[in-house]
Amino acid sequence: SVTREGWNKGWGTQQLDLLQQRQILPPEGVVPPKPVLVQEYLPNCSPDIFRCTLTKVPETKSVLQKSRLPFGILIHPFKDLEHLPVVSCNTIVRCRSCRTYINPFVVFKGERRWECNLCFRVNDLPEEFQYDPVSRTYGDPSRRPEVKEATIEFIAPQEYMLRPPQPATYLWVLDVSRQAVDTGYLKIVCDTLLAQLDKIPGDRRTMIGFITFSNNVQFYLMGEDQKSVQILEVGEVSDMFVPNPEDLLVNLEQSRTLIEELLSKLPESQGGTVQTQSALGPALQAAYKLMSPIGGRITVMTTTLPSVGPGALQSREDPNQRAGSDVQNMGPATDFYKKLSLDCSGQQIAVDLFALNSQYVDMATLTGISKFSGGCIHHFPGFHVARNPPSVGPFTACLTRYVTRKIGFEAVMRIRATRGLAITNFHGNFFVRSTDLLSLPNINPDAGFGMQVNIEEPLHNIRERRIRVHTLCLPVTPNIHEVVTSGDQQAVIGLLAKMAVDRSLTSSLSDARDALVNACVDALTAFKMGLSSPAHGALEVCPNLSLLPLFTLALFKSIALRSGTSTKLDDRLYEMCELKSLPLRHLMTKLYPDLYAIHTLSDKGALNIDDQVIPQPGRLHLTAERLDRTGAYLMDAGSSIYIYVRSMVSSEWVEATLGVPSYAAIPQPLYDDALPVLDTSQSHLLHNFISHLQRGKPYPAPVLILKEDNPARMLFIQRLVDDRSEGCHSYVEFLQYLKKNVK
Amino acid sequence: MWKDFIESQETKEGVRFSWNVWPSSRIEATRMVVPVAAAFTPLKKRDDLPPICYEPLKCTQSQCGAILNPLCQVDYRSKMWVCCFCFQRNPFPSSYASISEQSQPAELFPQYSTIEYTIMRQQNMPPVFLFVVDTCVDEEELSALKESITMSLTLMPANALVGLITFGRHVHVHVLANEVLRKQYVFPGHKDQTAKSVQEYLGVGLKATQTQMPGQAAPAPQPGQMNNRFLQPVQECEIMLVDILTDLRRDPWPVSSGKRPLRATGSALSIAVGLLEACYPNTGARIMTFLGGACSVGPGMVVDDDLRRPIRSHHDIEKDNCKYMKKAIKFYEALAKRSSDNGHIIDLYACALDQVGLHEMKYCSTYTGGHMVLGDSFQSSLFRTTFQRVFARDEKGNLEMAFNGTLEVKTSRELKIAGALGPCVSANEKGPNVAETEIGIGNTTKWKMCGLGPSTTVAIFFEVANQQGSDIPGTRGHVQFITRYQHASGQTRVRVTTVARNWADAQTGQQFISLGFDQEAAAVLMARLAVNRSETDQDGTDVLRWVDRMLIRLCQKFGDFTPNDPNSYRFHDTFTLYPQFMFHLRRSQFLQVFNNSPDETSFYRCMLNRETVTECLTMIQPVLCSYSFQGVEPVMLDTSSIQPDRILLLDTFFHVLIFLGETMAAWKREGYHEQEEYAVFKELLQSPVDDAQDILATRFPIPRYVETEQGGSQARFLLSKVNPSQTHNNALYGDGGAPVLTDDVSLQVFMEHLKKLAVTSNA
Ligand SMILES: [Zn+2]
Ligand SMILES: [Zn+2]
Repeated sequence: SVTREGWNKGWGTQQLDLLQQRQILPPEGVVPPKPVLVQEYLPNCSPDIFRCTLTKVPETKSVLQKSRLPFGILIHPFKDLEHLPVVSCNTIVRCRSCRTYINPFVVFKGERRWECNLCFRVNDLPEEFQYDPVSRTYGDPSRRPEVKEATIEFIAPQEYMLRPPQPATYLWVLDVSRQAVDTGYLKIVCDTLLAQLDKIPGDRRTMIGFITFSNNVQFYLMGEDQKSVQILEVGEVSDMFVPNPEDLLVNLEQSRTLIEELLSKLPESQGGTVQTQSALGPALQAAYKLMSPIGGRITVMTTTLPSVGPGALQSREDPNQRAGSDVQNMGPATDFYKKLSLDCSGQQIAVDLFALNSQYVDMATLTGISKFSGGCIHHFPGFHVARNPPSVGPFTACLTRYVTRKIGFEAVMRIRATRGLAITNFHGNFFVRSTDLLSLPNINPDAGFGMQVNIEEPLHNIRERRIRVHTLCLPVTPNIHEVVTSGDQQAVIGLLAKMAVDRSLTSSLSDARDALVNACVDALTAFKMGLSSPAHGALEVCPNLSLLPLFTLALFKSIALRSGTSTKLDDRLYEMCELKSLPLRHLMTKLYPDLYAIHTLSDKGALNIDDQVIPQPGRLHLTAERLDRTGAYLMDAGSSIYIYVRSMVSSEWVEATLGVPSYAAIPQPLYDDALPVLDTSQSHLLHNFISHLQRGKPYPAPVLILKEDNPARMLFIQRLVDDRSEGCHSYVEFLQYLKKNVK
Repeated sequence: MWKDFIESQETKEGVRFSWNVWPSSRIEATRMVVPVAAAFTPLKKRDDLPPICYEPLKCTQSQCGAILNPLCQVDYRSKMWVCCFCFQRNPFPSSYASISEQSQPAELFPQYSTIEYTIMRQQNMPPVFLFVVDTCVDEEELSALKESITMSLTLMPANALVGLITFGRHVHVHVLANEVLRKQYVFPGHKDQTAKSVQEYLGVGLKATQTQMPGQAAPAPQPGQMNNRFLQPVQECEIMLVDILTDLRRDPWPVSSGKRPLRATGSALSIAVGLLEACYPNTGARIMTFLGGACSVGPGMVVDDDLRRPIRSHHDIEKDNCKYMKKAIKFYEALAKRSSDNGHIIDLYACALDQVGLHEMKYCSTYTGGHMVLGDSFQSSLFRTTFQRVFARDEKGNLEMAFNGTLEVKTSRELKIAGALGPCVSANEKGPNVAETEIGIGNTTKWKMCGLGPSTTVAIFFEVANQQGSDIPGTRGHVQFITRYQHASGQTRVRVTTVARNWADAQTGQQFISLGFDQEAAAVLMARLAVNRSETDQDGTDVLRWVDRMLIRLCQKFGDFTPNDPNSYRFHDTFTLYPQFMFHLRRSQFLQVFNNSPDETSFYRCMLNRETVTECLTMIQPVLCSYSFQGVEPVMLDTSSIQPDRILLLDTFFHVLIFLGETMAAWKREGYHEQEEYAVFKELLQSPVDDAQDILATRFPIPRYVETEQGGSQARFLLSKVNPSQTHNNALYGDGGAPVLTDDVSLQVFMEHLKKLAVTSNA
């Protein structure tokens, strides 16, 4: 009945039967559940930054266990924000007892004192706090931005600086073996850097340097008084050393001419190389030695398995076992990269890895260099300018973003939580320095982390040392059912994904997959237990968790965790890293891409932003069933956007959108600037829509148009996770399986 | 008569024998004390040699291989020639079909007992110059050095190949080929590189070298293989090389106070040798090493980087208190051997106030015939001019340097070859005429001389093998010197010198033998032997005793005296100067090392071991000339020659010194020479200066030039050389002159002793 539904909705006890409800994906997208606070007016932290798997915190351990949901927090701490209050003050107000920063959830005791919301100590307020910088008047302390915003950034006063901030320092370590040069990546890197030199974050002190490697390691001498760049090549890779004490890391401004000379000549200078080995290990050792006095960012680009000097590896992948259920060699072959990574972390160096390999490079081992130093990892399998043109766009876009995005150096992240809560596990790329302190030599706006509880994040931006504080407040409940129905399914999936990766590595892939399905079964079981009268033959679930099975299936079918489908070890390991470190929003798009029909775009229900009409087509389930033969569909898979055009699509739409007379005339392949800008309403709408999608991404995803009869359509088809695929359930089958197991 | 003969032999053949009449038996030869030996200058300047463009004709006797020469008998009718060494009858090949008594080939002309062949079938090779530059020096030093190197590029033939290696803490090999970006290969200074790793890292080398037996040189490269990125024709890479030199900075590694810079000289040289070995084996090449200090890291280090520990002195060596010396010597010696195996020269240009380790590195120079130059500063004219002179050219415009030479000696059956002393190494060519006893570098009849010039002089020691009583066929013995080398023009040339000397009659010979004594040559040969003994024995005093003993025995053998009556002793005419040479040799820096550093000693000895007889004699007994209003005259190297009204010009080979006597100095101070009426005095002052300039203009390396006066601090250079006939001990009895403060015995005392000992039968 309508009344009952309204009642249930009001109390959060609404339920639905998944077996009956086939369309459960909200067309407008999943809206994160908002923690319901007593003081509703208080600003809570944005779900884009800070999410808890539960919007109501279980009061006791027992309640948590019975809820059978994972409890954890996902954070995207350095996200690019349009509105970020920045405070500069003499003293940052913190609790004298637990060192928590003053935040919107403290309680003022009069005008001069405040009570800590974590430890309940009552602290004094400094005189300064009486002043409101906005209205420039004295009085009510609650007008301060510190207590008006859940996310705030402080410019650190002197006391927070052990030493003056180091200059932004970037060291590029580039593979110049024959295979690497063949792919054409080097020219893209050099051209991109050359084009973006002015946009590299930093000030007049910014430093940059280059190391290249193949059989040996090359350094580039760029002293400002030199006539031209000079290569210093070191062949002694078994006992690596830095060949010059200066002019290898140079001031970007002072050595600009030489840097430009190098970037414009480097690809050509490596053109004729015949060297096929990779001295990646020695190159990294050299990079570490070069950077350790300053700290900063090392960017490594590699295409081949390291084969000479320390850190050399052997291929551990048996191509015949790629579809097997028992995946071997997911752990590192040597601790060389991990050790070096920890050394880097100790010297405030982060190492970012770009793998552009066609052959096995042992990502399981190589990624160690980034994981522990707080670096990021990118993978462009099969990258080749000529042989694989679609790979160029994503790489170039990613690289451009990478070069220009914000960066914080010498960061630490500290998590402070209400007493009684403990952090059991961390997910992401960092080094855990103490129980609540993560060491992050670099922090970038695209990195996500998983862990538990309250968070504070000091970091320094380029010139100043900065501290960004995020505070999330959650209500507490003793009621198991309330806990279950407060679950945030996206956050749950995000955390489960990280846990599954850990499980794969510590135990086995099949264990991890089993655990994943069990988690889903448990959650549904816990919900069912809370129902007074469970319906027979139904698979009931609360709305907050209604997508859990679908997302679990998507996770189950992800490259990282799938089984039975031929999967290269490197691809799998990379995807595992992604599951561990992507911010939740991007992780969800990757797991369950957004699918839209675009042959029917209209301004009905459209947004209007800055005088642009942005259509809002509904999201579709990822199943072939929803793909009309006369339609055209857009799939936003995060780092790529696919437009899938079916064969019976109307010629009018093709003409108005693609500028050719018919389906047959759509040129393939369509990888560069596939989508023409036409003066038609369809074209405007589509472009506006795509631009809107792109704005939500760290960098624009390349748009790829796939005709139904193009073999490359598999890029699209394989992401239809609702459908049955090689060796794996369809969504319907999965629901049946769950039904059988939910007791 | 003998004097003229000796002179003409030196001018014509470049040969001076200690004995110009040879004893006819082994016993007799040993009794003569001074061995039969020759000072031979293989590339003695000869403007009158005809251009011969065919191959020399060799004796077909398998172990002989001597070359047809004017001393061979020729039967023109049967077209046969008899080898003057083994008496084999050899037929002339068909190319000689037209010869007759009237139409003889040049090699049979008596005036062409020295002749030079140009081998046309050999590929012409441009010379290779590889600079090895120390960058651990002051900015001023480095820029002066860079200037000199840049200047030298203009002095080379345009097709010469050049390369550049710089070193400090690490070793940098520079790419000189035109590439997109300039490039250096860097090797860690602390590590010795094998030939293989150098080749691998640099990507150079012929495949052939891998199958090569160790120690054996690979065949010369073919022209197609010649191009590599590190050694480029100077005409093509000059601009780039100058750019690189311009950008070259002093070694950038910080040096903390109390420390020496880390200087990887050994590594650098090893890499230079490895590079040339891989690219141009058995081809003329010159590694030019510029040293601003001692090797302090890696292989070949001679001192560590702690300034509190000074570099070893002679006293340390004597007390065996040198931590690094032996290992370093072993390293450089092995390197020198490798280099000489490949025919490559290593020059050492040392310019520093402290020692640079020449003592340890000397083999690099002595085994390969490379230059050794010792100066204070790369900014000094001594270095600049000397270095410029390395590239001196002859009248035909060719560089006055020869490469990759070998010297082979053929002898009559009764004369065996005991060894050689000079800038060479053994080429390990055994033969029936190798002597039983080894003197110097022996056990071979052939030596490699990687670098040689017009004055390079090697000492060859012989042994008379004939047993007493057995007759020697014929009256004359023969020696043939065959010098094969790469001429500066790139041509392969063979110079052949064939000489003959009479065997002395067993009964009546002694008189003729003593007439044929060349006391100058003998003094130089004995000096080289003495130095060789002290280098190998390490014990200086022993060598002095040996020198004395040899002298006394010679005097006993070749003097006229009544036993036990010193006053009766008379020297033969050809022996009168010899004791005096030995007196000065005993006092010289060659044997008295404690006033010099080991580096200086090595330098002095190196020069003694390679210069001509005349120059070596100047080194042993410096030349002193007096300039006064009475005229110019050579004077005794004696304290009595120091007079107030004289200007003296002293030439020690290493130093050229002008010394103003007391009065002369006073007049000069008064400025008389600036007044017109004393123009004569001005001329007198100028005269020795002009003569000194003449010496400086021709000598290599440029001597240190000193102007001083009575009482001047630099006068010690003169006072240490003159015979101390008047010292503070006997000055009371002197007849003028300036007393010398020394405890050395004077020549007079020395001679008295000598006579006394010579006449004592049991000495
Ligand atoms: Zn507190
Ligand atoms: Zn013969």
